[in-house]
Amino acid sequence: MIQVLEALLFSTLEYAPALIFASLGAVLSERSGVVNIGVEGMMRVGAFAAAVAALAVPTPVGVLAGMAAGAGLAAVHAYLCVKWRSDQVVSGMALNLVALAGMTFLLESLYSPTGTPSIEQLHRWTIPGLASVPLLRGLSGHSAMTYLALAAPFGFHLFLWRTAAGLRLRSAGEKPAAVATMGISVSLLRTLAVLGSGTLAGLGGAALSTSTLDRFEHHMPSGLGFMAVAAIVFGRWTPLGAFGAALFFAAGNALRIGLASSAPEVLEVIPQGFLLALPYVLTLLLLSTRQRQSGAPAALGTAYDPEAR
Amino acid sequence: MAEPDRPRPQAAASASPGFSGAEPTAAEAAEAPRSRLAEAVWASLPSALSVALSLLICLLMIAITKGSLSLAGNAYLEMLRGGLGDLETFGETGAWTQLTRPWGEAATKAAILTFTGLSVAVAYRAGLFNIGAQGQMTVGAITAAVLGAKLSLPFGLHAAVCVLGAAAAGGAYAVLPAVLKLRRGVHEVISTIMLNWIAISLVENWLVVGPLRATTTGNNSISGTDQILPTAVLPRLLSDGSRMHFGFILALLAAVATWVWLFRTRLGFETRAMGQNAEAARAAGIPSARRALQAMVLAGALAGVAGSVLVQGTEMRFPATLGAPYGFDGIAIALIGETHPLGVAASALLFGVLRAGGTRMQLLGVHKSFPELIQGLALLFVAGRLIWQWALTRRRKRAPAPAAAAPPSSAPPAVSTPGAAAAGGGA
Repeated sequence: MIQVLEALLFSTLEYAPALIFASLGAVLSERSGVVNIGVEGMMRVGAFAAAVAALAVPTPVGVLAGMAAGAGLAAVHAYLCVKWRSDQVVSGMALNLVALAGMTFLLESLYSPTGTPSIEQLHRWTIPGLASVPLLRGLSGHSAMTYLALAAPFGFHLFLWRTAAGLRLRSAGEKPAAVATMGISVSLLRTLAVLGSGTLAGLGGAALSTSTLDRFEHHMPSGLGFMAVAAIVFGRWTPLGAFGAALFFAAGNALRIGLASSAPEVLEVIPQGFLLALPYVLTLLLLSTRQRQSGAPAALGTAYDPEAR
Repeated sequence: MAEPDRPRPQAAASASPGFSGAEPTAAEAAEAPRSRLAEAVWASLPSALSVALSLLICLLMIAITKGSLSLAGNAYLEMLRGGLGDLETFGETGAWTQLTRPWGEAATKAAILTFTGLSVAVAYRAGLFNIGAQGQMTVGAITAAVLGAKLSLPFGLHAAVCVLGAAAAGGAYAVLPAVLKLRRGVHEVISTIMLNWIAISLVENWLVVGPLRATTTGNNSISGTDQILPTAVLPRLLSDGSRMHFGFILALLAAVATWVWLFRTRLGFETRAMGQNAEAARAAGIPSARRALQAMVLAGALAGVAGSVLVQGTEMRFPATLGAPYGFDGIAIALIGETHPLGVAASALLFGVLRAGGTRMQLLGVHKSFPELIQGLALLFVAGRLIWQWALTRRRKRAPAPAAAAPPSSAPPAVSTPGAAAAGGGA
């Protein structure tokens, strides 16, 4: 039993970083008032850029390339949504479609239709004291991505709720006019938040292609970006809530994969489709029972127009 | 059911299609009665330019990655041959299949895209953003596949029952986000995203591989559900190898019907009024909750029919997966078509042709999903519609125009979008 839990813990922590980073990114953007359902696309370009860069340079540098690529796509989102007040959902979906088809095109013209060649995976760290402790052993042997992903949500929590910059960022999503009255640029705040969001989504994508696996595969991130959106809704638009939801979803996925490989007879009783649908069903249930108090920022999705009254 | 007489400016505004930002202001409409055609051309300019720009950028992308501009040009020619027909070979051989086969491929894709595009467009006009066309289409497709395989009805009736069943299933699946929105204030973008993945997980990862998996005879394993009966197949329109089928006609009819409903009936008028300003519509006595529900059910039904057209027109079963994210494509098709039903049909036709030609581009080593990149970029450029508007109106101002009618140029008019109108309420 301990071994099963241990394996589950290990596999959850392998799979979770991508989802955690993407969720944190989405929280950052949406807290500032900009809907970001382009996370899926930003993860995709991040995963691709990181893997391609890592073919030439050391893998950690490749991760930086992935972050930059995510930020690049986010810059388009920020330009359209903040500067030109475009529909944020349309822009996000457009970026998803562009990233989906664009990376497929680049992958096929540069490498093969299925994926890039293998790269050197990020170094896996063994935590000295844990290797002999049952259960906690599962915490050891991950890449820096995992440990960063476990720490980052707390950092973001402190940033958003304990610093002036965090307060301003949240205010831009609640009552942008009030922020503007303080003489602070709403556009700048939101642009920075969206760029940060893209960087994090790119990092999440890079986690898939450099840490979870050792190459970019054609289907990446296969819906994880949308699961990140579910995670922030589930976590009421807070970094720690989204972190918890992301961990929970990742554990569900680890369970499903573990069952498929080691105990397929269980999946005869509970079909895989049920387990796959579970995160979304739970999010929807939570939304439908929580009456009008979702925790969403008040100005989410509304473009800030300084001249509107 | 004719729209009752309204004051002039409103009537003019409702007659001009799409692109809410470019609609003439009351003063403009009253002063300069440009012809309807000119108005329609003007309104569709941003979309047309977006598509053109996207085509150009994608051409350069092939040229850069393949290192040859002429190869890129040839790839585009191949794409057109694959979608519109190979005129040269037809001229040499006189074989009609050189034309009818590509037309059939383009029409089958265009039919599906028209339905998902209409689905998104109808909801958008009511101020709702239907991201859920993919899920509604999945539900519709599996319904059509089951009804097509299990029922035994006479030819014609069987196909009709399947299409209607798919419409009902898609419509029913769209009731949930509408009710969640009206009762609980759950934003439809979030709920439809969730419902998409629920539908995909349950249908593709459970029903199609589990209870509804095709019964295999012998060793040959088939992925997907049982094949539908011949009576449920949408009839082919052309002979000799072209897959053009009745679904294409259905799609064109649906586009016209949706146009009539939106622009020539009272219900449609009220729906659009709600989409433009929900509060004003409510103040005017429009039962906005009922209209929202109706629009969402119609949107779901249209997406459901998209699924049935795929199953009964080309696949003949629910395949292992739907193949392409047609539901998400519907968002692009709808917005490139200015969410006007006829514009949707036009953009679906265009991208149906391009995507049918995509397979032929593979001959030159360009991935067959390349037209989807063109489509995605075009949507991105359409998303920046205020940029087009700014660029176009600046030019328009410089021309000798009635200066008094020109609005102040510095502030682009706020575009009313579902995202902006609804997201504030909290998801």
